[in-house]
Amino acid sequence: MKTRLLNTVLISAIFLFFACGESTSVVESGTYQGTIQEVEPSKTEIYVETDDNQILELYFTDSTELSRNGSRVEFSVLEEGMEVEVDVEKKGKRLNPLAVRVLQ
Amino acid sequence: MEEIPDFWRTEVFHPLSVHFPIALLVVAFLFKVVALKYSREVWERGGTVLLIAGLVTLWISVFTGDLADGIVSRKICDPTILKEHENMAWATAWFFSAGLGVDLLRQLKYPIFKNMFFRLIMILLLATGTGTLTYTGHLGASLVYQQAAGVYVPSQDCAEFE
Repeated sequence: MKTRLLNTVLISAIFLFFACGESTSVVESGTYQGTIQEVEPSKTEIYVETDDNQILELYFTDSTELSRNGSRVEFSVLEEGMEVEVDVEKKGKRLNPLAVRVLQ
Repeated sequence: MEEIPDFWRTEVFHPLSVHFPIALLVVAFLFKVVALKYSREVWERGGTVLLIAGLVTLWISVFTGDLADGIVSRKICDPTILKEHENMAWATAWFFSAGLGVDLLRQLKYPIFKNMFFRLIMILLLATGTGTLTYTGHLGASLVYQQAAGVYVPSQDCAEFE
Protein backbone atom coordinates (compact mmCIF):
# COMPACT_ATOMS: atom_id res chain seq x y z
CA MET A 1 0.00 0.00 0.00
CA LYS A 2 2.79 2.36 1.05
CA THR A 3 4.79 1.44 -2.05
CA ARG A 4 1.83 2.11 -4.32
CA LEU A 5 1.29 5.51 -2.70
CA LEU A 6 4.96 6.41 -3.10
CA ASN A 7 4.90 5.28 -6.73
CA THR A 8 1.87 7.49 -7.36
CA VAL A 9 3.54 10.48 -5.68
CA LEU A 10 6.74 9.99 -7.67
CA ILE A 11 5.03 9.63 -11.04
CA SER A 12 2.82 12.65 -10.28
CA ALA A 13 5.91 14.64 -9.34
CA ILE A 14 7.61 13.75 -12.63
CA PHE A 15 4.57 14.92 -14.62
CA LEU A 16 4.35 18.04 -12.46
CA PHE A 17 7.95 18.97 -13.24
CA PHE A 18 7.17 19.00 -16.94
CA ALA A 19 3.77 20.59 -16.56
CA CYS A 20 5.25 23.54 -14.64
CA GLY A 21 7.13 24.83 -17.69
CA GLU A 22 5.55 27.71 -19.53
CA SER A 23 5.15 27.42 -23.25
CA THR A 24 4.78 30.49 -25.40
CA SER A 25 3.29 31.10 -28.83
CA VAL A 26 4.68 32.64 -31.97
CA VAL A 27 2.13 34.76 -33.83
CA GLU A 28 2.20 36.82 -37.02
CA SER A 29 2.91 40.56 -36.88
CA GLY A 30 -0.21 42.46 -35.92
CA THR A 31 -2.32 43.79 -33.09
CA TYR A 32 -3.55 41.53 -30.31
CA GLN A 33 -5.65 42.05 -27.20
CA GLY A 34 -5.26 40.09 -24.03
CA THR A 35 -4.55 39.97 -20.31
CA ILE A 36 -1.18 40.30 -18.64
CA GLN A 37 -0.44 36.93 -17.10
CA GLU A 38 2.96 37.77 -15.60
CA VAL A 39 5.22 40.81 -15.27
CA GLU A 40 9.01 40.43 -14.92
CA PRO A 41 10.25 43.92 -13.95
CA SER A 42 13.93 42.94 -13.82
CA LYS A 43 13.79 41.92 -17.48
CA THR A 44 11.13 44.45 -18.57
CA GLU A 45 9.21 41.50 -19.86
CA ILE A 46 5.52 40.59 -19.85
CA TYR A 47 3.50 37.52 -20.72
CA VAL A 48 0.17 38.30 -22.37
CA GLU A 49 -2.59 35.73 -22.75
CA THR A 50 -4.55 36.64 -25.85
CA ASP A 51 -8.30 36.21 -26.24
CA ASP A 52 -7.68 32.99 -28.17
CA ASN A 53 -5.54 31.59 -25.30
CA GLN A 54 -2.12 32.10 -26.84
CA ILE A 55 0.70 33.20 -24.56
CA LEU A 56 2.89 35.97 -25.98
CA GLU A 57 6.24 36.55 -24.30
CA LEU A 58 7.21 40.15 -24.90
CA TYR A 59 10.54 41.73 -24.03
CA PHE A 60 10.32 45.51 -24.13
CA THR A 61 12.93 47.36 -26.16
CA ASP A 62 14.01 51.01 -26.09
CA SER A 63 11.53 51.71 -28.88
CA THR A 64 8.50 49.99 -27.31
CA GLU A 65 5.80 52.59 -26.68
CA LEU A 66 3.83 51.97 -23.53
CA SER A 67 0.71 54.07 -23.04
CA ARG A 68 -2.48 54.41 -21.05
CA ASN A 69 -5.34 56.67 -22.19
CA GLY A 70 -3.06 58.08 -24.87
CA SER A 71 -0.29 59.15 -22.48
CA ARG A 72 3.06 57.43 -22.16
CA VAL A 73 3.55 55.59 -18.90
CA GLU A 74 6.39 53.74 -17.19
CA PHE A 75 6.83 49.96 -17.24
CA SER A 76 6.24 49.91 -13.47
CA VAL A 77 2.50 50.60 -13.94
CA LEU A 78 2.02 47.17 -15.51
CA GLU A 79 0.41 44.56 -13.30
CA GLU A 80 -0.84 41.03 -13.62
CA GLY A 81 -4.48 40.90 -14.78
CA MET A 82 -4.41 44.18 -16.74
CA GLU A 83 -6.10 44.20 -20.13
CA VAL A 84 -3.72 45.34 -22.86
CA GLU A 85 -3.55 45.76 -26.61
CA VAL A 86 -0.17 45.05 -28.19
CA ASP A 87 1.30 45.75 -31.60
CA VAL A 88 3.89 43.10 -32.29
CA GLU A 89 6.39 42.65 -35.08
CA LYS A 90 7.52 39.09 -35.82
CA LYS A 91 11.21 38.75 -36.68
CA GLY A 92 12.19 35.14 -37.23
CA LYS A 93 10.30 33.62 -34.32
CA ARG A 94 10.95 36.59 -32.04
CA LEU A 95 8.12 38.95 -31.18
CA ASN A 96 9.14 42.57 -30.79
CA PRO A 97 6.53 44.66 -28.97
CA LEU A 98 6.23 47.93 -30.91
CA ALA A 99 3.45 49.36 -28.74
CA VAL A 100 1.59 48.28 -25.64
CA ARG A 101 -1.62 50.09 -24.69
CA VAL A 102 -3.21 49.55 -21.28
CA LEU A 103 -6.97 49.26 -21.83
CA GLN A 104 -8.27 49.71 -18.29
CA MET B 1 34.73 51.94 -35.56
CA GLU B 2 33.11 49.20 -33.52
CA GLU B 3 34.75 48.32 -30.22
CA ILE B 4 35.28 44.85 -28.79
CA PRO B 5 32.83 44.48 -25.91
CA ASP B 6 34.04 43.75 -22.40
CA PHE B 7 34.47 40.00 -21.85
CA TRP B 8 32.82 40.05 -18.41
CA ARG B 9 29.31 40.68 -19.70
CA THR B 10 26.29 39.45 -17.75
CA GLU B 11 25.37 36.88 -20.40
CA VAL B 12 28.88 35.35 -20.32
CA PHE B 13 28.56 34.16 -16.71
CA HIS B 14 26.16 31.44 -17.80
CA PRO B 15 28.51 29.56 -20.17
CA LEU B 16 31.27 30.06 -17.60
CA SER B 17 29.24 28.34 -14.88
CA VAL B 18 27.23 25.76 -16.78
CA HIS B 19 29.95 23.21 -17.55
CA PHE B 20 30.58 22.40 -13.88
CA PRO B 21 27.15 20.82 -13.21
CA ILE B 22 27.21 19.02 -16.57
CA ALA B 23 30.44 17.25 -15.65
CA LEU B 24 29.75 16.76 -11.93
CA LEU B 25 26.19 15.48 -12.22
CA VAL B 26 26.86 13.01 -15.05
CA VAL B 27 29.79 11.54 -13.11
CA ALA B 28 27.69 11.53 -9.89
CA PHE B 29 25.03 9.49 -11.70
CA LEU B 30 27.69 7.05 -12.98
CA PHE B 31 29.09 6.67 -9.45
CA LYS B 32 25.63 5.81 -8.13
CA VAL B 33 25.10 3.25 -10.92
CA VAL B 34 28.46 1.64 -10.21
CA ALA B 35 27.53 1.61 -6.50
CA LEU B 36 24.59 -0.68 -7.35
CA LYS B 37 27.02 -3.40 -8.35
CA TYR B 38 30.08 -2.68 -6.23
CA SER B 39 29.50 -2.00 -2.57
CA ARG B 40 32.72 -0.08 -1.92
CA GLU B 41 31.86 3.10 -0.08
CA VAL B 42 33.83 5.28 -2.47
CA TRP B 43 31.14 4.91 -5.14
CA GLU B 44 28.24 5.60 -2.79
CA ARG B 45 29.76 8.44 -0.77
CA GLY B 46 31.73 9.79 -3.73
CA GLY B 47 28.52 9.93 -5.74
CA THR B 48 26.82 11.87 -2.98
CA VAL B 49 29.66 14.41 -2.74
CA LEU B 50 29.62 14.87 -6.53
CA LEU B 51 25.85 15.19 -6.42
CA ILE B 52 26.01 17.95 -3.81
CA ALA B 53 28.75 19.83 -5.70
CA GLY B 54 26.92 19.38 -8.98
CA LEU B 55 23.63 20.55 -7.56
CA VAL B 56 25.13 23.70 -6.03
CA THR B 57 26.70 24.61 -9.37
CA LEU B 58 23.48 23.65 -11.18
CA TRP B 59 21.42 26.14 -9.17
CA ILE B 60 24.12 28.77 -9.76
CA SER B 61 23.79 28.03 -13.50
CA VAL B 62 20.01 28.39 -13.33
CA PHE B 63 20.54 31.81 -11.74
CA THR B 64 23.14 32.95 -14.29
CA GLY B 65 20.92 31.56 -17.07
CA ASP B 66 18.04 33.67 -15.85
CA LEU B 67 20.27 36.76 -15.94
CA ALA B 68 21.40 35.91 -19.49
CA ASP B 69 17.82 35.28 -20.61
CA GLY B 70 16.84 38.93 -20.23
CA ILE B 71 19.65 39.96 -22.57
CA VAL B 72 19.80 37.30 -25.28
CA SER B 73 16.02 36.96 -25.70
CA ARG B 74 15.98 40.40 -27.30
CA LYS B 75 18.61 39.41 -29.89
CA ILE B 76 18.14 35.80 -30.95
CA CYS B 77 15.82 34.82 -33.80
CA ASP B 78 13.99 31.93 -32.09
CA PRO B 79 13.36 32.55 -28.38
CA THR B 80 11.12 29.45 -28.24
CA ILE B 81 14.32 27.36 -28.11
CA LEU B 82 15.49 29.48 -25.18
CA LYS B 83 12.17 28.94 -23.40
CA GLU B 84 12.47 25.18 -23.85
CA HIS B 85 16.10 25.33 -22.65
CA GLU B 86 14.90 27.19 -19.55
CA ASN B 87 12.04 24.75 -18.85
CA MET B 88 14.31 21.74 -19.25
CA ALA B 89 16.93 23.33 -16.98
CA TRP B 90 14.31 23.79 -14.24
CA ALA B 91 13.15 20.20 -14.67
CA THR B 92 16.77 19.01 -14.46
CA ALA B 93 17.37 21.03 -11.29
CA TRP B 94 14.29 19.54 -9.60
CA PHE B 95 15.05 15.97 -10.68
CA PHE B 96 18.56 16.14 -9.24
CA SER B 97 17.34 17.96 -6.12
CA ALA B 98 14.77 15.22 -5.52
CA GLY B 99 17.41 12.56 -6.26
CA LEU B 100 19.79 14.11 -3.75
CA GLY B 101 16.96 14.40 -1.23
CA VAL B 102 16.24 10.66 -1.47
CA ASP B 103 19.96 9.90 -1.37
CA LEU B 104 20.48 11.93 1.81
CA LEU B 105 17.45 10.34 3.46
CA ARG B 106 18.94 6.92 2.62
CA GLN B 107 22.30 7.83 4.09
CA LEU B 108 21.12 9.67 7.17
CA LYS B 109 19.09 8.43 10.07
CA TYR B 110 15.94 7.07 8.46
CA PRO B 111 16.22 3.27 8.12
CA ILE B 112 12.95 3.09 6.16
CA PHE B 113 14.74 4.66 3.19
CA LYS B 114 17.59 2.16 3.23
CA ASN B 115 15.89 -0.49 1.10
CA MET B 116 16.37 -1.26 -2.60
CA PHE B 117 13.10 0.46 -3.55
CA PHE B 118 14.35 3.91 -2.54
CA ARG B 119 17.72 3.21 -4.09
CA LEU B 120 15.99 2.54 -7.41
CA ILE B 121 13.80 5.63 -6.99
CA MET B 122 16.98 7.66 -6.55
CA ILE B 123 18.59 6.05 -9.62
CA LEU B 124 15.42 6.71 -11.62
CA LEU B 125 15.41 10.40 -10.60
CA LEU B 126 19.11 10.78 -11.41
CA ALA B 127 18.72 8.95 -14.73
CA THR B 128 15.83 11.18 -15.74
CA GLY B 129 17.81 14.22 -14.58
CA THR B 130 20.79 13.10 -16.64
CA GLY B 131 18.52 12.76 -19.67
CA THR B 132 17.01 16.23 -19.26
CA LEU B 133 20.49 17.62 -18.51
CA THR B 134 21.75 16.23 -21.82
CA TYR B 135 18.80 17.68 -23.72
CA THR B 136 19.19 21.04 -21.93
CA GLY B 137 22.85 21.09 -22.98
CA HIS B 138 21.90 20.28 -26.56
CA LEU B 139 19.40 23.17 -26.61
CA GLY B 140 22.02 25.49 -25.07
CA ALA B 141 24.52 24.51 -27.74
CA SER B 142 21.95 25.14 -30.46
CA LEU B 143 21.30 28.61 -29.00
CA VAL B 144 25.00 29.44 -29.16
CA TYR B 145 26.03 27.78 -32.43
CA GLN B 146 22.88 28.42 -34.46
CA GLN B 147 21.71 31.74 -33.05
CA ALA B 148 24.91 33.20 -31.58
CA ALA B 149 23.22 33.71 -28.22
CA GLY B 150 25.49 35.82 -26.02
CA VAL B 151 28.21 35.77 -28.66
CA TYR B 152 29.92 38.88 -29.99
CA VAL B 153 30.15 38.63 -33.78
CA PRO B 154 33.22 40.53 -35.05
CA SER B 155 32.94 42.87 -38.01
CA GLN B 156 33.81 41.41 -41.42
CA ASP B 157 37.13 43.26 -41.68
CA CYS B 158 38.04 42.60 -37.99
CA ALA B 159 38.98 46.28 -37.70
CA GLU B 160 38.10 46.42 -34.00
CA PHE B 161 40.91 43.93 -33.28
CA GLU B 162 43.66 46.09 -34.85
